[in-house]
Amino acid sequence: MTRLAFLLLAILALGGCGGGEQKTEIVIQRFFGECGAVYGQSIDVRAAESECGILTTLINRFEAENPDIRLSVNVVAWPGYPQLAAQIAAGDPPDLVTMHQSVISDYQGRGLLEPMDGVLREAGIGPQSFTAAGRLGVTKSGQTYGMPWDTIGRLFHVNTRLMAQAGLMRDGRPILPNSPEELLDHARRFRAATGKPYLIQAHVNAPDTHVGILYTYLLAQGAVIFPDARHIRLNTPEARRIVALFRQIQAEGLTTRNQDFPGATASFINGEGGIFPTGTWMIGPYDAEAATPGQPLYKSYAVLPFPHLWGRDAAFVDGHAWVMPRRDRTPAQRQALARFLRFLAAHNFDWTRTGHLPAFQAVLATPEFRALPHRADIAAMAATGAQLPDYVRRQSAIQGLIGEELEAAVTGIKPVEQALADAERRVNELLSQIL
Amino acid sequence: MSAGARRTGLSTPALIGVIFGAMIMVAPLIWTLLLSFKSNADLMRDSATAFSGPYTLENYGAILQGSQVFRWLLNSAIVSLGTTAGVLILCSLAGYGFARLEFPFRRTLFVFVLLGLAIPEQAVILPRHQLFAELHLHNSYPGLILPGLVAPFGVFFMTQYFRAIPRELDEAAMLDGASRFKQFWKVLLPLTIPAQATLGVFTFLGSWNDYWWPLISATRSDRFTLTVGLASSQMNYAQTSGLGFLMAQAVFASIPILIVYIIFQKQIVRAMAGAAVR
Repeated sequence: MTRLAFLLLAILALGGCGGGEQKTEIVIQRFFGECGAVYGQSIDVRAAESECGILTTLINRFEAENPDIRLSVNVVAWPGYPQLAAQIAAGDPPDLVTMHQSVISDYQGRGLLEPMDGVLREAGIGPQSFTAAGRLGVTKSGQTYGMPWDTIGRLFHVNTRLMAQAGLMRDGRPILPNSPEELLDHARRFRAATGKPYLIQAHVNAPDTHVGILYTYLLAQGAVIFPDARHIRLNTPEARRIVALFRQIQAEGLTTRNQDFPGATASFINGEGGIFPTGTWMIGPYDAEAATPGQPLYKSYAVLPFPHLWGRDAAFVDGHAWVMPRRDRTPAQRQALARFLRFLAAHNFDWTRTGHLPAFQAVLATPEFRALPHRADIAAMAATGAQLPDYVRRQSAIQGLIGEELEAAVTGIKPVEQALADAERRVNELLSQIL
Repeated sequence: MSAGARRTGLSTPALIGVIFGAMIMVAPLIWTLLLSFKSNADLMRDSATAFSGPYTLENYGAILQGSQVFRWLLNSAIVSLGTTAGVLILCSLAGYGFARLEFPFRRTLFVFVLLGLAIPEQAVILPRHQLFAELHLHNSYPGLILPGLVAPFGVFFMTQYFRAIPRELDEAAMLDGASRFKQFWKVLLPLTIPAQATLGVFTFLGSWNDYWWPLISATRSDRFTLTVGLASSQMNYAQTSGLGFLMAQAVFASIPILIVYIIFQKQIVRAMAGAAVR
């Protein structure tokens, strides 16, 4: 009898070892930094601040609400692509990864990403629910290769106090130019009235700044930048017009000079110029300055899309997305991924508090989104925002090449035409080498 | 001649030159230290505020509160110490072999090892990554330690050191009946301690500071080394809106190196002066 009792106990103990709740584990890999010290235990999404804080809290919240799923989170050094490439090469990529929409083509073109139409359908998310910019960002070769998470782009960050001093405010809103001539006129008036440059620009080691401006106004003029996957078209009248304008602004001293991005940021915060064309991601820090009494930017900050200088309204944008590297997954893991994606989509508004624009059409229309500072002013970018064609690969490397040449042209080191010709040649060489 | 010049044995112009050079060398370190004690918001407005108060420990607090920072510290210590121990053992044995033993193709093999000095890590990183993937060594301590054990410079260094030790010592030990291993272990190895210390310090420093291989081999955050872990905790545009935190990370990651330097200062200086091999 005793022996039998022991046997039963042993069976129960063994059962206890192997059983219990079976959690489905999925591996999430993301950038945006690590902030476990502050948000490691928090599930209060509305109370979280910053990209890292909001995303960490969202993940905690999902795990709390879905006890049958375990999210194993890898926080990688920005932007995380060396690690991802290594993981793919080693045959062990994560299940879900943050990726810039402009980078998706690089991985999708090599068959390293899984189309997500199926898993999104399972999550109840249709591509029609994405914003136009978001949809463009994740649609490659007719399939959806990611769930867009936001739209990021460049904006005119404005010091309204200095603009008022120059008479460039109407009804409490900055007056932005409507043509290149008007831009120069405003800039000259601004300098005469304030003694400061109209534009603050990061010219040093900031290729993306120049490229953002160039692409935006090329798109506005309806120019075809990449006629096919192997060629760029830059030495054109449209491009020369844009670069010549910014060269003139530089030559007339209507912009700051020789500053890198941190330097330009400090200049803007300290009220050393009127307008800083930089990204959506700086809205938060500048708003904080605008809310701090005694700071030069106090109650003097507005942000608007790039002004309409040529053609139509346009904005070159990028965005973050969640993508699925190709790998074997169990049905339970697929289902867990679908649930996580549905959860993220439902909380897209929370992410927009970072300053980025939403990736879901429904969020754009909500009163709570429009009540966020400046969002109503910039929401249009979610519709006007455009990306490069889905066949363009190595966009980051291309930006580096073009940025170098534009830096040389704008600062007067090279004639505009030569810089554009050199940029075109260098990019075409790069594109010809892609396997 | 000034008192300082008399004390150091340098002429006054030379002393001024040395002080000037030292100031240039130290300035970035002091700048880094000052920035690390300033709030990120202050530095975003103007990095020159580093020269005046108020100073804060908040950036260091943020590092120490990081959920995995002590895990990364432990990983770095295990990897660096493991690599250092492995390099010392292998290079000592190889150095002794090349310096004292006669075996077929010894010279050819030595030249072959030295050729490793001419091959940059970048040239072998892809096949190595593939090999480690096949062997399931990524995200493991062996995966982080093994590549560091390939140390042609260490082999060369120890070979030269063993060659400089008089052969009479081996012969005396042999006459006393010591086996080949005993000669190595009891007689020659203790004489190579200065070289071991030099090689150990440089190996430890190199391994501690290594970024690239851990970045692509340790892709799970619980396997990150300190350098990779700290980089992962940075947000984009950290150089603009998180400069103080960035600099505090640099200081924090340097502390163990500083401790190693303080302990082994004499050996490092001797190594730098090329005096270790005598």
